[in-house]
Amino acid sequence: MTQLVLIFALLTGVVLQAVLPPTWAWLGAAPAPILLGIVLYVALAHSQLRMLGCALAAGLLQDALGQIPLGYSSFGFCLAGLAAHRFQDEVFEHAGVTHAVFGAAAGGLVTLVLYGLLGKDGSIGLSPVWAVKKIAGAALLGALVTPVECWLLARLELRLGSRPQEER
Amino acid sequence: MRDRTLINLIVFGAILLLVLNLPLPVAGRLKALTRDTLAPLQKAVSGFSRQARESLKLLRGVGGLIEENRKQAEEVARLRIRVGDLQALEAENLQLRELLRFRQKEARALMACEVVGRDVSGWWSMLRLDKGARDGLQPDLAVITAEGLIGRITNVSARTSDVLLISDPNCRISAFVERSGAFGIVSGCGPAAQGLPVCRMEFIDKSRKNPVAEGDEVVTSGLGGVFSQGLPIGKLEHVHTNASGLYLEADVVLRADLGALDNVFIVADRVQPPPRSPEDEGP
Repeated sequence: MTQLVLIFALLTGVVLQAVLPPTWAWLGAAPAPILLGIVLYVALAHSQLRMLGCALAAGLLQDALGQIPLGYSSFGFCLAGLAAHRFQDEVFEHAGVTHAVFGAAAGGLVTLVLYGLLGKDGSIGLSPVWAVKKIAGAALLGALVTPVECWLLARLELRLGSRPQEER
Repeated sequence: MRDRTLINLIVFGAILLLVLNLPLPVAGRLKALTRDTLAPLQKAVSGFSRQARESLKLLRGVGGLIEENRKQAEEVARLRIRVGDLQALEAENLQLRELLRFRQKEARALMACEVVGRDVSGWWSMLRLDKGARDGLQPDLAVITAEGLIGRITNVSARTSDVLLISDPNCRISAFVERSGAFGIVSGCGPAAQGLPVCRMEFIDKSRKNPVAEGDEVVTSGLGGVFSQGLPIGKLEHVHTNASGLYLEADVVLRADLGALDNVFIVADRVQPPPRSPEDEGP
């Protein structure tokens, strides 16, 4: 994956995440985790160094466009990315099921980490019931969004020749 | 290989610690810079998505357009008659005010803004607008739609501003019930659940001669200095005594639909004139 493709994906991801309307109340109004999906794709298909860079940049973009203190999302994304990268050699990294499972787990984990950090700061006033709904919502959306994103990113890389043919 | 992994982790951990411990003003400036840089892209994408939504709505509703047109024409005729009546009342009101030497109320100045985004993280009920400090905006200005109050500005960068919606638990507004004159605090209850109220009015005086009732209109009280007086908020529902038994509380059904906001207005009572650039000034 070239740096240019990564930058393009991150910018498109953050703008889409900001423009998309909030999801339903029963999902805790969790946003579609588009940036997290990009981090997971890089974690499963690329080197650890690239994944860490991507997670840091994606987190900073998410925090800069929202109200979260700078660095909180990066921390969550790095944790999720490291966990996914750990299993890189043990899973089919280009299978939809893998992306769905990792998307669900990472969506829930990052939301839980952010709820802990923001709750500790006292910056959010959401009840634990909402938090549970949000965590479940983020996991569900992660399972749905991540496979689509990974498929699109893999196609983009193939088109631009930045991914070897044998990986198909 | 193992050493390299460890070095990566140490380097990125150090960068993350540095970012997490940035002084607030520096972090704020970095955030504002990112927002301003991405603002044109965000505006373009939100404009495109709005157009796509409107085209879809148009395609779906072609059959109903004639009926809708007829209804709108009826509404215009009704509103014209109402404006005529109100003009007569205004003239009478002015005459009486002059007789009593009351101070003239100034018409509210409104600034139209486009909604270009929402909170990326989903933890707050927020909107991002396409105008900022360059247009004279500043924190704590009221944001309304044609239906009523929707929130207040919290953060402002050069090209954008963030609005904390009235449905957010961090948003608390001093309000009063128009019919009975009872004061209270309106606060958000989190993201809107379908069919459920998104705000609650608390600390309503229980001992008034004219008690509050369901269906009463709630407006801003003007106390606290953030919102001007009389901005419509919503209607009361499920009025009941609070747990302590000292006050009444009620759900507030908002007049404005917070889920479908494309254009909003800022009550520009306190808008600062935008700073003049050197090019604006004559020789």
